[in-house]
Amino acid sequence: MGLALTDTQTNLWWGAIWGGLAIVVAVALLLTILVILVNRIDKRVVKVRDTLRAAVANTNDTALIEPTAERVDAVLAEGLKHHLFLGRVLDKVRS
Amino acid sequence: MNTMVVLSVVDIALLIAGLAFYLFVVGSQLKRIATNLEECAGLVRTIKGNAEVIEPGLEHINRTGGVIAGALPLLYGMAEGIVAGVAPRPDQPVVRGPARPASGRRRSRLHDSVGYVPAGSSTSASTEAPG
Repeated sequence: MGLALTDTQTNLWWGAIWGGLAIVVAVALLLTILVILVNRIDKRVVKVRDTLRAAVANTNDTALIEPTAERVDAVLAEGLKHHLFLGRVLDKVRS
Repeated sequence: MNTMVVLSVVDIALLIAGLAFYLFVVGSQLKRIATNLEECAGLVRTIKGNAEVIEPGLEHINRTGGVIAGALPLLYGMAEGIVAGVAPRPDQPVVRGPARPASGRRRSRLHDSVGYVPAGSSTSASTEAPG
């Protein structure tokens, strides 16, 4: 059973078909651009991740700062002992 | 008529298939990006934890180092005082003699210039002098 279409309806249908095809092509083009941009974002995120990994490797040794401060305190304590010792010896030498 | 129907169906199918394909591609990309960003967030938290101990630790070291640097000259002074106190001092002569040049008396070369060699002289000039 066939549909009876007028010439105008047929032309409009063909127009819709070609228009739809053009829309498909345009959508494919825009989505391709979207994929390319997302791919660029992905690569740059990977670069950021690698940089952050290097930064973590660089800052891992900051835990040594606190023991270093304690060692410097020990040096100061030893210097105070030297001060007391030299003070006693100097008093004996002068007397 | 049939051609138009088929083309219409193909048109719609292309649109749906294209959208599905790109949705799948973009979805997989975004999933990968999300995974990487989650790892980045963890790394940033780790860096923050590592960096938090830097400032108080360095302030501690600088404060203690400043105290040490300020105390060292005092220790030097005390050590120098001890050294000066225990170093032996040579006895000074009670009567000092006249000051004489350290080089001694200078030898005259006038005799050498005229070829005269005094008796008993054994200088190098005597070997050069004739006779």
